[in-house]
Amino acid sequence: MDAAESYVNDQLKIDLIENEETYTVRFLGKSFLRDPNQFVLPILSKALEDTIAGAKRMVIDFRDLAYMNSSTLTPVIKILERARVGTGEITVAYKKSLKWQDISFSALIIFQTPDHRIEIAGMD
Amino acid sequence: MDRKEGGRKIPSRESGEFEIFVDSDWAQMGKVNNAILDYLTSHELSDELANRYTMVACELTENGIKYGSFEMDGDFVRVRIRLDGGSISVEVTNPVGEDTRAYLSELDQTIQWIRGFQDPFEAYIERMRAISREPLEIDRSGLGLVRITYEGRSALDFFVEEDSTLSVSAVSELNR
Repeated sequence: MDAAESYVNDQLKIDLIENEETYTVRFLGKSFLRDPNQFVLPILSKALEDTIAGAKRMVIDFRDLAYMNSSTLTPVIKILERARVGTGEITVAYKKSLKWQDISFSALIIFQTPDHRIEIAGMD
Repeated sequence: MDRKEGGRKIPSRESGEFEIFVDSDWAQMGKVNNAILDYLTSHELSDELANRYTMVACELTENGIKYGSFEMDGDFVRVRIRLDGGSISVEVTNPVGEDTRAYLSELDQTIQWIRGFQDPFEAYIERMRAISREPLEIDRSGLGLVRITYEGRSALDFFVEEDSTLSVSAVSELNR
C-alpha cells in the first residue's frame, strides 16, 4: 500500500492510505506534540467524515509508532467517542508485543462496541 | 560518579544518576527523549523498562516546560534520574511563579485524586472517559500524571521549595 498523503510534524509522520474498504491513518515515529488539536485532530476528524461518507472503515494504525506523549492520545479518545455515539466504523490497531502499546491502547477497549463497529485490535 | 560532558552527565555502569537540563523550548523534547532512553538502555534496563521510565521522565518534563516560570536567564527544567539497586527515581524540577499557583493546586488535587483509586488503571479509565465527554476544542488532556501511575507504575509526589522551585518525583521498583 502506498500512502496517498503524508503529514509530518517533528519526528511524527502520519500517512493516509485509502482503498475500496478502508481509510487508514498510520502513525509512524515519535510524537511529542504540544498541541495535537492543531495537527492530529483535523486529520482524524476529516478521515472520520470521509469514511462515513464513503461507507468505509477507518483504521487508526499505531503499530509503527515508537513513542507518544499523553497529549497525542486526547484527539484519538475524542474521535473514538464521537464515532461510538455516531455512525462511524473504526479499528484501532496496535502492536501487542510492544508492552507500552499494549498497556496504552488496550485501555481504549472502553470505547469498543458490542457489534465491533468500534474495535480495538492488538496485533503482532 | 557519572562524568559530565557537554552539560550532560555520561553514565557509568557503577553509577546510577543522570541529569539533564532543558530550557522552555518544546522542540527539545525529541532530544530529551532520546538522551533518557539511551541512558536507561546503557544501564541494561530491558526495552520495556527503558521505554516505561523514558515516558515517565518525558511526561514530567513536558509539564515542567508547560507550567514552569522561565523569566530569568538560566531558568530551566532539571531532569534527574537515579537508579538505586532495585528502584528508580525520576525527579523534575522547575521554577514556578505567581502565575502557576493554579497549576500547583491542580497538581495537588490530581495526585490526591489518583491516590484515591486502589488500582491506577481505574483512574486512567476514569480520566479517558472524562476526556471523551469534553468538547473537541479543549486540548488539555490531564492524562500525563495518571499515565505515570498506570503505565509507568510509579508513585507521584511533589513539593515546592522556599525559592519557588517545584520538584515532582515519580518513584518505582524496577521489578514491578
